[in-house]
Amino acid sequence: MSYFGIDRIFKVFQTMRSYGGIKASLYKLWRMDSLRPGILVGTDKYGNQYYENKSYFYGRNRWIEYAPKYGFDYDGSQVPAEWFGWLHYKTDLLPSQDPSRPNYKWMADHTENLSGTSEQYVPYSTTKPKIQAWFCKMTFFDGT
Amino acid sequence: MLRTTLAKVLNGAQFSPKNIAVITRAASDQAAKKPEKIEVFIDDIPVKVEPGTTVLQAAAMVGVEIPRFCYHERLAVAGNCRMCLVEVEKSPKPVAACAMPVMKGWRIKTDSELTKKAREGIMEFLLVNHPLDCPICDQGGECDLQDQSMAFGSDRSRFTDIDHSGKRAVEDKDIGPLIKTIMTRCIHCTRCIRFASEVAGVDDLGTTGRGNDMQVGTYVEKMFLSELSGNVIDLCPVGALTSKPYSFTARPWEIRKIDSIDVLDAVGSNIVVSTRTGEVMRIMPRVNEEINEEWLSDKSRFSYDGLKRQRLVTPMLRDSKGELKPVDWEVALLTVAKQLKNAGPSVGAIAGGFADAEVLVAVKDLLNKLGSEALCTEHTFPLDGSGTDLRSSYLLNNKIAGAEEADFVLLIGTNPRLEAPLLNSRLRKGYVHNELEVALIGPKVDLSYKYVHLGDSPSVLEQLVNGQHQISKKLTSAKKPLIIIGSEVLERPDGGAILSAVQKLCAATNPQTENWKVLNVLHKVASQVAALDIGYTPGVDKIRELSPKILLLLGADEGSIDKSDLSKDTFIIYLGHHGDNGAAVADAILPGAAYTEKQATYVNTEGRAQQTLTAVSPPGRAREDWKIIRALSEIIGATLPYDNLNEIRNRLDEVAPHLTRYGTAENANFFKQAEALSKSVKSQIDKTPFDVKLKELQDYFMTDSISRASPTMAKCVQAVIKQKQSKY
Repeated sequence: MSYFGIDRIFKVFQTMRSYGGIKASLYKLWRMDSLRPGILVGTDKYGNQYYENKSYFYGRNRWIEYAPKYGFDYDGSQVPAEWFGWLHYKTDLLPSQDPSRPNYKWMADHTENLSGTSEQYVPYSTTKPKIQAWFCKMTFFDGT
Repeated sequence: MLRTTLAKVLNGAQFSPKNIAVITRAASDQAAKKPEKIEVFIDDIPVKVEPGTTVLQAAAMVGVEIPRFCYHERLAVAGNCRMCLVEVEKSPKPVAACAMPVMKGWRIKTDSELTKKAREGIMEFLLVNHPLDCPICDQGGECDLQDQSMAFGSDRSRFTDIDHSGKRAVEDKDIGPLIKTIMTRCIHCTRCIRFASEVAGVDDLGTTGRGNDMQVGTYVEKMFLSELSGNVIDLCPVGALTSKPYSFTARPWEIRKIDSIDVLDAVGSNIVVSTRTGEVMRIMPRVNEEINEEWLSDKSRFSYDGLKRQRLVTPMLRDSKGELKPVDWEVALLTVAKQLKNAGPSVGAIAGGFADAEVLVAVKDLLNKLGSEALCTEHTFPLDGSGTDLRSSYLLNNKIAGAEEADFVLLIGTNPRLEAPLLNSRLRKGYVHNELEVALIGPKVDLSYKYVHLGDSPSVLEQLVNGQHQISKKLTSAKKPLIIIGSEVLERPDGGAILSAVQKLCAATNPQTENWKVLNVLHKVASQVAALDIGYTPGVDKIRELSPKILLLLGADEGSIDKSDLSKDTFIIYLGHHGDNGAAVADAILPGAAYTEKQATYVNTEGRAQQTLTAVSPPGRAREDWKIIRALSEIIGATLPYDNLNEIRNRLDEVAPHLTRYGTAENANFFKQAEALSKSVKSQIDKTPFDVKLKELQDYFMTDSISRASPTMAKCVQAVIKQKQSKY
């Protein structure tokens, strides 16, 4: 059967079924430009799902499906630090399987790169202005 | 109290060097009577000099400058620094050039071996106890000691300090918020002491101890209470007295210096504005013998930090909620233009104390084009009799420099010490060197010299006019009498009657000198004379009567007009540089430039036109005042016919030619006509005693929108009040 490549057609149908039908699969294809079957290995606290499929070659066999809330506005900086290592082959251990990961109360929550958004950091001058402008304190016409 | 004329009488030494050294016009008069000149030789160059001339002055005549620290031409000779030692042929010792009068046939060698050796020795003595902190000293780069040690000092030091005993150290004094003292640097030239007692008239500074233990100070810890205190910073040849607000902010070689004019009082002192990186760093006096000599009053010198606070940097409009909101020029000008178009000829303008002649004439032209004549100045002046038609009625006719020649001065309702400190220093100079007698009608104030207080009742003036007062005889017999009347008493409702009484009084005097003008009016603000020259109506009564739909305030901040004086829907436009009383009531704010930020014409109280130069650019969106009016006129459709400074100055020239003759004061001569016209004044002087606003030093520092915004001036007020409470 594999000789004729029919198994691949089966695989496509299988994958589409695992994604929940034709419509959902087409949406996923539109959103992520690829449709591949994989085993869900974990989900982080932001709702991103991490997949693995060993049958793809190294470098293509781990991927992330960004949480639906990001819509089409997903980017690499939304991967939290604990999953970053696994996703980039720094380690084969999943965050839940690795006991040596530091975990302290004071560690800051992950933030994505905010450049281009309204919350982005904009540098500002810290020097005192040479001229201090006047602002009116009185608000009423009659001078009270 | 110090008075050299008394000393002259007592020891009969008419020409001791002490009297000669200070340049007074009186001294030059006396010198003209001495015909015999004596010949001396400076480095073999023959020069003929008056007897009594000092070696240093004789050398200056042939262009030889002798180094000095303690000698200053406007102060008495002290002769204690010894830097001016020069060799005189056949004299066993070198002589101190500043104190030694020349004798006939003296051959003075200012460049001989002995002179050089003497200078090198003195330099070494001075430097023995002078700290080597030039790199952190504010005087560094403009220090006489630095310069002269390079020129005349030794090329190597003998200071080894193997015992690590250090140099002499002196504790610093706290003499107020303006002057920083680093007394270790003091070389005991005593210039500051002499300035305080001779020019400022405050005997606060002095020395304690002698020899190596000598210290300059105030004996007890107190503030240097003077309105001229900043001048000791310029006088100090080293970095012992430096400016507190300027300390550690800039170096002389980084600074750009721009000649300008001061506008914080009506004297129009000549100043140098030092700027760096588009910021005014300090203000220093510029020599002008006719006006401020080389002094400057503290308000003019130190209120420059007020130029950086409370500034109007963007046009503003009042929104529907009654709040002033920043807008851009286009919106502001279009809104104002719309209002002006709707108002038609119902427009008025009030000029404040800082308005320059250019904007005054531009506003007048604009309002006249719109069909309005309601142009007023904030400070009023009587309109009875000849009013402001004759210039001689509102000028300080005898000029500021002329004040020191007078032999009798009658001050009426003025405190020149705080209203025009540099005029007062002239009067004090006359008092000290020229037997000047002063009488005052008005509240009793400290003028820094003795005067006869005639009380503050207007009845004294009436008695004087009738010739019944005990001082009347003195006034009529005086050869050079002066009557200086403060603009403040003329602002009273009975100002017209007072002015005509004073004109009568002036006519009764008998000045013996040609072109001597008895009547002098002392104004308090820089813009007043120019505004009256251009044809503004003094006082805001006209505006009150008309209650125009639009009122343009040209920096009018003294609250002369209130919201309650105007109708509810009057649209107020404020054109000025500081957010003060005027801006707070305005419906539209057009930010203008302060006096350091524009090239503008000001006329001082003696009628002398002078111009400021642009030192820094106006902050933010602020623009030069007359250009704003010009832009506005174009939008309204009544375009004013001038596009640049030259063209508006041509217009000034058309209106009043003296406004563009910079540096000269045109004489005004219609006293007789003014007096004749004043006879028509029927009103009576009322019984209210004469009063002045500025009585004590703490009243002096904050009087206008610039000095009110200045933190340094606020500190001065606090310091003076604190000093008044202390037991010293």
